[in-house]
Amino acid sequence: MTVNQNELLSALVDGELQGQELDRALKFLESNEQARVQFQQYQFSSDVLHGSAHENNRVDLIDRISSALDDEPTYQIDQAPKQKAQVIAFPKQFWKQAAGLAMAASIGALAVVGVISQPQNQLVPPMVAAVDVEAPVQTMSIAAKGNRWTVEEAEVADRLNTYLVDHNEYAGASGVFSYARVVSYDAGQ
Amino acid sequence: MRFLLHLGLALSLSLAGTSSFAEPDAMKVLERMGAAAKQLNYEGVFAYQTGQNLQSIRIIHRSDGQGEVERLISLNGAAREVIRTNDLVTCIFPEGKRVHVNRRPLGRGFPSDLLRRLSSATPYYEVVSGQQGRVADRIAQELVIKPIDSYRYGFRLWVDKDSDLLLKSELVAGDGNVLETFAFSTVELDKIIPDSLLQPQISGKEMTWNRTEPESAVNMAAKKNWSRWQVAWLPEGFSLVAQQNRLKAANGAAVEQRVYSDGLSSVSVFIEKIRARHSHLHGGSKMGAVNAFGTILSAHFVTVVGEVPAKTVEKIGASISPTDEKPGQAALWDGEKDD
Repeated sequence: MTVNQNELLSALVDGELQGQELDRALKFLESNEQARVQFQQYQFSSDVLHGSAHENNRVDLIDRISSALDDEPTYQIDQAPKQKAQVIAFPKQFWKQAAGLAMAASIGALAVVGVISQPQNQLVPPMVAAVDVEAPVQTMSIAAKGNRWTVEEAEVADRLNTYLVDHNEYAGASGVFSYARVVSYDAGQ
Repeated sequence: MRFLLHLGLALSLSLAGTSSFAEPDAMKVLERMGAAAKQLNYEGVFAYQTGQNLQSIRIIHRSDGQGEVERLISLNGAAREVIRTNDLVTCIFPEGKRVHVNRRPLGRGFPSDLLRRLSSATPYYEVVSGQQGRVADRIAQELVIKPIDSYRYGFRLWVDKDSDLLLKSELVAGDGNVLETFAFSTVELDKIIPDSLLQPQISGKEMTWNRTEPESAVNMAAKKNWSRWQVAWLPEGFSLVAQQNRLKAANGAAVEQRVYSDGLSSVSVFIEKIRARHSHLHGGSKMGAVNAFGTILSAHFVTVVGEVPAKTVEKIGASISPTDEKPGQAALWDGEKDD
C-alpha cells in the first residue's frame, strides 16, 4: 500500500474523514484485503492508546498513568471524603494526558489499559457455531428486588448495565433524567 | 392505475388521520424543552421513583462554548455518579469499586437526534397540553402524550413555563399505571457552575476501570451496509436513527449498537460476538420501566433494550437474524479476531 493509503486508513481510525474522503476510504477497505488487515492493526493501536484491551497487559500502563497522575496537579474537592478510597479529582485533561503518555511509550512496551469487571477465567477453546447450544443462558426471572435487572447472574446484569448506559444516550422523552436509571442501579437492596 | 389510485387514497387517509393527533402548541413546547435541556445551566435535586424504589439524585448541568458537561450523583446509599462530557460518559460505582468509561460515538456531544425527530412521532402519539401545575416551586405546563398502540408507552411531562426545562416526567403504561417518575424537588437555573461541581468526589484509585470505545467514526449511512444483521420487525414508525460499533475493553469484543426510534420512544439492539464462555440473558428482563430481551444467534449475544413494553423488545429480538444465514460465519468483518 502507498503512504497515502496508509494515511487514509489512519485518518479513518481517528475519525477524521468526512464526505468523499470517507467514502473513498470505505470503498478502499471493501475492495482490499490488505487494507482491512492494516485497518485492524491501526484500530488495535488506537484501542491501546485509548485504553481498550485485555486485562493481561494492563498493569504496566496503569502504573505509568498512575505515576504520571501523581505528578499532575489535582483539584481539591470541597466536600469531605466519605469513601474509604482516597479522594482525588480527575484533571480535565486526564484523557489527553493518558493518551499522550501512551503515545510516548514504545509500542513494544505498550500495555493495554482495559480492565475487566467480568471474570475472564472461563475462557474456552475458539468459539464455533455450536455456541448457540453450548453457551449457558440466563433464564427469565421476574422478581424485581430493588432497582436492578431481574436476572440471576451478576455477569448478565453487568452486560445489561453496559448496554443501558449506551442506550440512555438515546433515551427519548425522559431526556435530562435518563441517567438516573444508571445512578440508581441496585438501590433499594 | 387503479393501484396508484388506491395507494394515493390510502396515503391521504393515513395523513389525514395522523395530522390531528399532535396539538401544534404542545409540539412547540416539546421542541423548546429539548433545546432547553441542552442549553441551560442548572443544578437541582430530583426524585426517581420506579415501583417501590425512590431515589434522590443531584444533577448539575453546564452548557457553554466548550459544549455540555453533566454530573449526576445518587444521594441515597452508595454515592454513584455519572459524568457526561462531550466525548465521554463515566459511570462510577463506589460499592463495587468499578468505573465504566464509554467514549461517545463520534465524540461530538450529547445526542439530540430524537428531539430533532419529534415531528416523526406525531402519527404515533396523541400530544396535547394538560393543566398548568407546580413542580419544584415553579409553574409548569403539563403535556399528555398517548401512544396509538400497545408497543410503546405514554408520557406525562411537566415543562417549566419560564425556561422550558423538563421538571417532571412520568412514563405511563397502557393501563394507566405510572411505571417511572422523575421529578425535580429543587432546581436552580442560570447559575454559574464552577468546575469543582463537575468533578467526581470518588477516587479513581483502587477502582476497576472498564472501558468501551467507538471502533471508528464513520457515518451511519455507510455503516448500514456493513451490518450482517437484519431486524425484520419493528413497531410502526420506528426507524434506524443511530448505529455504532464499540470495542469492549473487558474482552476486546466488538459490540454493534443499532438504535431505533419513533421520535419519542427508542430501543437499542446490541449484537456482541461471544468471545468466551459466558452466560447471557435468554428471554426477558426488566429494570424499572426499561425492558430487555436477550438471545444467542450465530455465536453472538443479541440483546434488545428500551423503555418500551416487554412484548416490544421480545418481538424485535425474535425478528433479528444474520443476513448471510451461514452458521459460524456471521461475524462482523470489522476487525474482530476469533479467539
